[in-house]
Amino acid sequence: MSRPATRRRSSFSRSVFVGTIVFLSLPLFVLVLYSFNASKSGSWTGFSLRWYVKLFTDSPQLWRAFGNSAIVALSSALVATVIGTLGAVAVNWYKFRLRAYLRTITFLPMILPEIIIGVSLLIFFSGIGMRLSLFTVFVAHVSFNLPFVFLLVLARLEEFDFSIIEAARDLGASERQTLLKVILPLSMPGIVSGFLTAVTLSLEDFVITFFVTGPGATTLPLYVYSAIRFGVSPVINALSVVMILGTVLLTWSTRNFLKYIAAK
Amino acid sequence: MKGSDVVIEHVRKSFGDFKALDDVSVGIRKGEFFSLLGPSGCGKTTLLRIIAGFESPEGGAVLLDGRDVSPLPPDARHVNTVFQNYALFPHLSVFENVAFSLRLKKAPESEIKAKVAEYLQLVELQAHAHKKPSQLSGGQKQRVAIARALINEPSVLLLDEPLSALDAKLRQHMLIELDSIHDKIGITFIYVTHDQQEALSVSDRIAVMNAGEVLQIGTPQEIYESPATDFVAKFIGETNLYEADVASVSGETVDLSVDGFGTVKVTATEPPPVGSRVSWTIRPEKVRIGLEEPKSARNGINAIAGVVDEPIYSGFQSKFYVRTPSGLVLKVIKQHADWSDDGPEIAWKDSVWLSFSAEDAYIVEVKR
Amino acid sequence: MKRVPGSSGAQGGLYAAPSIFWLSVFFLAPLAIIVAYSFLTPGARGGVEWTPTLDAYRAIANPTFAKVTLNTILVAIGATAITLLIAVPCGYYMARSERQTLLLMLIMIPFWTNFLIRIYAWIAILGNEGFLNDILLATGLAKQSVRFLYNRGAVMLVLVYTYLPYAILPLYSTIDKFDFSLLEAARDLGASKLGAINKVLLPNIKGGILTAFLFTFIPIFGAYAVPLLVGGTESYMLGNLIADELTKSRDWPLASAISLVITLVTTIGVLLLLRANGNAVLGGSGDGEPAVSEPAAAIGGSR
Repeated sequence: MSRPATRRRSSFSRSVFVGTIVFLSLPLFVLVLYSFNASKSGSWTGFSLRWYVKLFTDSPQLWRAFGNSAIVALSSALVATVIGTLGAVAVNWYKFRLRAYLRTITFLPMILPEIIIGVSLLIFFSGIGMRLSLFTVFVAHVSFNLPFVFLLVLARLEEFDFSIIEAARDLGASERQTLLKVILPLSMPGIVSGFLTAVTLSLEDFVITFFVTGPGATTLPLYVYSAIRFGVSPVINALSVVMILGTVLLTWSTRNFLKYIAAK
Repeated sequence: MKGSDVVIEHVRKSFGDFKALDDVSVGIRKGEFFSLLGPSGCGKTTLLRIIAGFESPEGGAVLLDGRDVSPLPPDARHVNTVFQNYALFPHLSVFENVAFSLRLKKAPESEIKAKVAEYLQLVELQAHAHKKPSQLSGGQKQRVAIARALINEPSVLLLDEPLSALDAKLRQHMLIELDSIHDKIGITFIYVTHDQQEALSVSDRIAVMNAGEVLQIGTPQEIYESPATDFVAKFIGETNLYEADVASVSGETVDLSVDGFGTVKVTATEPPPVGSRVSWTIRPEKVRIGLEEPKSARNGINAIAGVVDEPIYSGFQSKFYVRTPSGLVLKVIKQHADWSDDGPEIAWKDSVWLSFSAEDAYIVEVKR
Repeated sequence: MKRVPGSSGAQGGLYAAPSIFWLSVFFLAPLAIIVAYSFLTPGARGGVEWTPTLDAYRAIANPTFAKVTLNTILVAIGATAITLLIAVPCGYYMARSERQTLLLMLIMIPFWTNFLIRIYAWIAILGNEGFLNDILLATGLAKQSVRFLYNRGAVMLVLVYTYLPYAILPLYSTIDKFDFSLLEAARDLGASKLGAINKVLLPNIKGGILTAFLFTFIPIFGAYAVPLLVGGTESYMLGNLIADELTKSRDWPLASAISLVITLVTTIGVLLLLRANGNAVLGGSGDGEPAVSEPAAAIGGSR
């Protein structure tokens, strides 16, 4: 009942919000605009699709980087999801030594700046004599993805009444059967969103990857970085637009997928 | 008498297409315990919020002691509200919640201490001053809300369904407490509720509202005994409400011919002309029920035969649904007295006689 | 406490083992190594000599580093303050709106782009041949290109841009849980609009404000890519210093020592805030559940 009166009152917050949206979307608008620019220089000279053509036909390095990103994202997300889910199940439903320790070491990576994780891993890898490669990138990505999966699955598990586990045991399910037939299906939405978050985080990551990557293990963000540093080609603009569309599509299908899972 | 009189003149308010208040006028007297009673969505809370200043009316005026306060913001009105969900500040202790408005006024510490103590005593919460709202029970929260609203010494206290979150027993208790607080401080109380029992038991006067309109304003007795509309009759207490045609009129006694049922004598202060279509009512507790035909069929007594369709026993009383040969069903409530008065027990399918005085039956609305 | 009945620690320990192993080896052990390295002597071409020394910490204290540290603190405080000043009204507006999902999408969509591409977009806007200069030159507001990039202002702008949603989301979810009738109660008791916000809204969303603070201050304090790409020499931050010591000067003990300082500042800051507020900080409005995962995960973590 109070809504109509208060809506009028929030005109200050409304203008701040509108300003923020403009501020946030301005760069995207400029990217889209310049991706259709005919000239190579910054200024607008006319409409053209040449950068899209170049992106899809003549950018082998870019696609190699994209392939690396995809490999690292999928593999690290998969491993982080399996490990993190088991950890969340353990913390939520079991008593064991090191429970408090596990909670702490899943929390810490989330509050530390990325550069610390990147630098410490780099020093660690060279300290144990591990050559930097796509594999070290994979290891690093699992490390920062794991806490996110852990927390997302844990949040899902916490919604459930413990009595369902007791019911499963009461009805004769073993520990393993309880895990497979009750706990995992229930936590599926948390697991799926954990996995997808991990994929996204991994595709996004620049700072950590920058430190732990080795020769030939360029990921897409690293490629974009070197493009920015050592001469921008407007292909980047076209790539950005394609990536935005890709993310929109991915997010949209994820939402539907999650809805579908939740409804099951 | 302390407090203010509150006059609401032709107030209108709509939310989108929904008319919350449609030309509402109410006069509330100084020091009165006044209830706004109606089903949810009837506009009573909107009216209260307009008086408090949280909503502004689209037309009309709200006068406090004759002064139009409709353009004033809530903080500039000498009116305080007890909110439905208490709206206690969770970050402040009971003491600080109550002290809130004094601190805004930058009152000296000694005055704050003394007044907060005084008002906490009024609501019997001295022992809980240091607690946070989350540590209180529902009834205690309610009392903090009351003390907090009263400390400003408002001339009008608005109460928005203050008891709806409490359980039935506590509600009874708080109602009595509210009444005694009202007696003690003597300011105007405007009380919004959908519970007719609450309204009847504490109010000096009641405004019954429905669909954005005020249907009737009167004392609890007036509202109960002579409802102005069918809606009021049905909303307040239990009732039997039927339609009939006026057959004949003699003085204030009217003979009605009830469809498929025969003639019933009722009372009307301003009898409608013969041939009018009317609705009439008889309260269930005003109907006597017995196994034998009433002996003295004196003038002004209606006697009707019927069969008990459904007896409902509830300890101190029984309710009977009695079906007459024509199919009309009357509700009857019989209070259980002692054995000598109670008569033989009436059971399911018994043939019974119902009787009621013409003086207890009223014409409610004239339909045409 | 809910626990699986009749199960000893064995089953839970089995499930927890992979997580514990992975994070101990690939998160905690590396941290322990930089602690150790920070007390050692730098090796000739990277690496360390096993001779204990406090040289690295002495180096941190020298004026060049002190200047960078000061700049880092200034940028972090400034950018965080601006971010919060924008984020509180935004979160408030979103929480009061009836189209929350839509508004949430509007905030999120720009963040579906890669972190670097967003930085690049700002270069495309602010650069000498960028969008803004195009407009300025075309409209005649400027005679020649204005240099917007490669200074502290550009760094702060892009940092605010990058971390704004991290502040808006926790604030929005906290304000959304706030009972707005409390504002009416305050008004009813004689508070002005601003008074009600100060005395009732802000104290009750303190948890959200602190979460938003942590989500912005910490990553900005450890920022690396933004000052590298849009900053100049004078807007160098600690993150850049670490990278330089690591890859250019090859002074690993020094890089470790600086990392350790950042780690300590961050951890101690979080602990202090947690203590000051019970569980309220990371639990949004104090319900004890970590709210960290929700917004951070929603953004997709472009730190």
